[in-house]
Amino acid sequence: MPGTALIEVQQLVGELAPKDQLNEVVTAVHRIPAREAQWEEMPAWIRPELMQAYRAKGIERLYLHQAEAAEAVRAGKDVVIVTPTASGKTLCYNLPVLNAVVENPDTRALYLFPTKALAQDQLLELQDVGQRLGDAFGVFTYDGDTPSDARQAIRQRGHIVLTNPDMLHAGILPHHTKWTRLFENLRYIVIDELHTYRGVFGSHLANVLRRLKRITDFYGCNPQFIFSSATIANPGELAQRLTGSDVTVLEGNGAPSAEKCFVFYNPPVVNRFLGIRRSYINETWRIARKFVKRGFQTIVFANSRLHTEVLLTYLKQDNPPLPGSPEIVKGYRGGYLPLERREIEQGLRNGSIRAVVATNALELGIDIGSLDVAVMAGYPGTIASTWQRAGRAGRRTGASYAVMVASSRPLDQFIVKHPEYFFSESPEHVYIQPDNLEILINHLKCAAFELPLQNGESFGGVDLQIICERLAESGYLHKSGEFWYWTQEAYPADTVSLRSVSSDNFVIIDETVEPEVIGEVDFTSALTTVHPKAIYIHGAQQYHVERLEFEQRKAYVRRVAVDYFTQAIRYTQVKKLEVEEAAAIPGPAIKAYGDVQIRSQVVGFKKIKFYTLENVGSGKLELPENEMHTTACWITLDRELTESLPYSISERQDGLFGLLYALESVASLLLMCDRMDLGATIGERMPDNAEEAELFEPTLYLYDAYPCGIGLSRPLFEMYDLLLARTREMIEGCTCEKGCPSCVGPAGEAGERTKEVALAILAKLSPVGTMSCSQA
Amino acid sequence: MDSLADRLSRIAALRPVSTISRTATDVADACPDTLIQLLGGELRFTQFGSHVRVRRRFRSPQPEVISPRALRLICYNTSAVSPDLSGWLLLDTETTGLAGGTGTYAFLVGIAWWEQDSFVVEQLFMRNHGEEPSLLLDLESHFARDRVLVTFNGKSFDWPLLQTRFRISRIRIREPIAHIDLLHPARRLWRPQLGSVALTRLERQILKLDRGPDIPSESIPQIYFDFLRGAGPRAIAEVFHHNRMDLCGLGSLLVHLNTILSEPEECGCRGSELFGISRMLQKSGGEERLARRVYEKALESGLPADAERAARRELAFLAKRGCDFERANALWLELSNDSREGFRACEQLAIYYEHKARLPGKALAFSRQALAKLREAFHARRITLKEYQRRYAALQRRLTRLAAKL
Repeated sequence: MPGTALIEVQQLVGELAPKDQLNEVVTAVHRIPAREAQWEEMPAWIRPELMQAYRAKGIERLYLHQAEAAEAVRAGKDVVIVTPTASGKTLCYNLPVLNAVVENPDTRALYLFPTKALAQDQLLELQDVGQRLGDAFGVFTYDGDTPSDARQAIRQRGHIVLTNPDMLHAGILPHHTKWTRLFENLRYIVIDELHTYRGVFGSHLANVLRRLKRITDFYGCNPQFIFSSATIANPGELAQRLTGSDVTVLEGNGAPSAEKCFVFYNPPVVNRFLGIRRSYINETWRIARKFVKRGFQTIVFANSRLHTEVLLTYLKQDNPPLPGSPEIVKGYRGGYLPLERREIEQGLRNGSIRAVVATNALELGIDIGSLDVAVMAGYPGTIASTWQRAGRAGRRTGASYAVMVASSRPLDQFIVKHPEYFFSESPEHVYIQPDNLEILINHLKCAAFELPLQNGESFGGVDLQIICERLAESGYLHKSGEFWYWTQEAYPADTVSLRSVSSDNFVIIDETVEPEVIGEVDFTSALTTVHPKAIYIHGAQQYHVERLEFEQRKAYVRRVAVDYFTQAIRYTQVKKLEVEEAAAIPGPAIKAYGDVQIRSQVVGFKKIKFYTLENVGSGKLELPENEMHTTACWITLDRELTESLPYSISERQDGLFGLLYALESVASLLLMCDRMDLGATIGERMPDNAEEAELFEPTLYLYDAYPCGIGLSRPLFEMYDLLLARTREMIEGCTCEKGCPSCVGPAGEAGERTKEVALAILAKLSPVGTMSCSQA
Repeated sequence: MDSLADRLSRIAALRPVSTISRTATDVADACPDTLIQLLGGELRFTQFGSHVRVRRRFRSPQPEVISPRALRLICYNTSAVSPDLSGWLLLDTETTGLAGGTGTYAFLVGIAWWEQDSFVVEQLFMRNHGEEPSLLLDLESHFARDRVLVTFNGKSFDWPLLQTRFRISRIRIREPIAHIDLLHPARRLWRPQLGSVALTRLERQILKLDRGPDIPSESIPQIYFDFLRGAGPRAIAEVFHHNRMDLCGLGSLLVHLNTILSEPEECGCRGSELFGISRMLQKSGGEERLARRVYEKALESGLPADAERAARRELAFLAKRGCDFERANALWLELSNDSREGFRACEQLAIYYEHKARLPGKALAFSRQALAKLREAFHARRITLKEYQRRYAALQRRLTRLAAKL
């Protein structure tokens, strides 16, 4: 019955937003029709006992894409399999790998998962097949939780070893001689959830794989790579950058799916002047409870642990456990014990749990079956992971629903107001920078520890000779004959973390009554939001920051009610070190990218009164300075441009900052990167001589917030036109009057004409007609 | 514009390590030949290149054989081992670190053996990493026949490290027929007395040997790195000395262990050593009577509280197995008020009076006492909840049964 989902949703929408005539609240109801399964017979070369084992599990035939994947692997190709959630992805690689193990019991395979939980999930699946084959092969997880007395056996008897990049990096490669059985017979390397390896993590993984290849070369084997990925724009390119060789992309999907409705929901505006909307968390709760009440099995995604807990509390209060019955609402996030997680997964599969509130921990391929409804509190940040989360709802039969509730972040607002962008655009590119020197050199040290580096050997795209000489001068290596040897007592892998940027958070502790942790902020925003004497706003409650323990990464706050907010004064200096490429553009202006030095320090703060926005005080701060060399993309506005703007100097400045705010949001949207991966600042062009010193030629910088850069600047430079067009769409499309957090920044913080000036600058930079605007 | 060199100068991963040290005078006399002269060694050539070998003989009469008892106590698998020392090889390595893994090198491998009336120490040294395969090949030749390997902490450190080195150099090495790691008996015998059982400590305090001036072992990796970068051979010569002394100490320790373990009752050992020996005897099985005698002797000699308690418990256990209930009961009675062992001792007494003496009244009294002691031990967190529950249930069953018998 096509259309039932639509009717159901329209009914619901009517209840949720009865007065939404302009479709400002429900901005999209997108229907995805049902799809029939496309079947293929099991390939004839599959060993009968393996075919038997799968038949016993109820798998008699393959979906088209599974059969294609099996054939491509059989043909010896490196492949990347791109499939949506719940389309039988694991069979794509398990079938050919297991077949090879059954054919030749010496065969070994290494599976890499981004998290331990995913490896555990696969372990159960593979053990199940293994039992049906009379334990013909050994499959083990090998990670930080593996007991040391079991490790020896795993090294010897594990046909399939399930691990993660971190363990491969610090636990396996530096001890490769203990793994000779594996490395001498390694035929397949399976890397699941390829799309998660972006930015720093992906750049590290590429280098770990370079090291892995050196080791497999040493043991004389040449394993085949099998990747699996969610839908992204460049799976083949990404896989190719990781392995250094061509990879075949398989994008078919023969799995059936039922009809689905995707709803975009923007919480109603409650204060148009300040651009404030109703809490998206509360709105998420309202929507989720409606679905749960109607008997739909529902998954709610939140973007932070705190929000997970808040939503869980609300939903539990709605659905108290009946006496003698198990709970029907559960939470699921990192930090829950493995056993508890297994129980929740089980409960979701058998339907006893009716609602689960999760972080992205459930976005990846953990097997929880398929649910009826997915509700997302906030845009997950990328098109790809939004589809991943939506894919959690999707029965093979019946209908399913996905609802995205936008927060007031610019990214969320852009997406929710431009549904056509989301539904028509290809998903994001994943960028990595394997030749980031900081990352590469750290891995080169690890590589030298594992096996001496040979003159003429290649490791990424760098001149190994020069780097080895420098490492020798610094005491890490010593040359003997043709080889460079490791000459340190320390174990280099210990000091290199593959996920180094995001772990360093500050926790916020409310001391009003009893000390209680109310939230956390990442390192970079901590300095501007929880510096001493700041007013920190959390859940509409104001807190005064009493003290900041920098080393301990703790901020102590106390509840207050004051009529002002604070704004940190951050002093950021940018110095251009090297221009890779530059071009004159309309404006007149110059766009460029290259290497920069960023020095930033929070030097003080202002107190700003609500509504009147008067400056009612200020303070000085002494916080540590941060210095970093990285890559940036920038736009330098010619004096002619700034002078042609009919505004005062301070209005122009406000306009520039507003524009930068918007550019940064759109850039992170286009780059599929974390908000934290990208930084933005304004600098002035260094005057060439004293006469020019007074001339105002501002430069807007967007930089990689990681030392040496992770490959964001060049794509930004190349997508400059698109960046400008999207930014303009975003600002123009915003319903606020004079700027709000969803476009050019909070109205109070910027001047009266910020939005107007930002648009005027944009009009100069991209005169109508010179750019392609894809607005529907 | 920015050159690669400028860029590299900003990389944190390239920042020098703090411990680099090299002085001009050191470099001046850096010449490979001076090292060989200084040590009285020779350059060895193999099909894989060359390395340095230094051989020294020490006058030392060969201990005739290792007694079967001592052998059984220090070696788990004695069947293939000949007590004749001619096939025994002592080994100790000096390495570029303690971390293990494939980037740690054994740059100096010392081996030693007895030969007529001499103790021979042979040291193989690589002057740079390129000499490693040659060194390993030379070492491999010593393993061409059946060998009993003797080390100190070699089971978890030196031997796995060498196996890694051999594997990377693609040289096959024959495994020794037995590997005796003296760290383990040393721990049993001397840990209560010394705390740490580092070899140098054992030499000084147990073997009463003085190795004279020596370098701290934690300085060794850096000495080698400095040597690689051109520092003179004097510091390395001290590493050779250190290694030689380690091997001599290892040999002395083996002789000493053979003496005291062969005739434990005659060895003049102190109580805690006797306690260690009796535990080893008990564990290896076969000589329970001797184990009992040594426990008794250890108790007579006086023991620290922990060891005394354990000695009584084990001795009572052995006495029970030997059906010497008189002695066992006496020991349990001594333990019955002990805060740690009390509940076990009382339970044992209850078992005795229920099944052997057939005095259910007495058995009941001891069961009750056991229960009280068990609670005490649990509240003092001396036992886990799981153990408490298990023992509690068993005692309850016993009480019910005894009540029925009365």
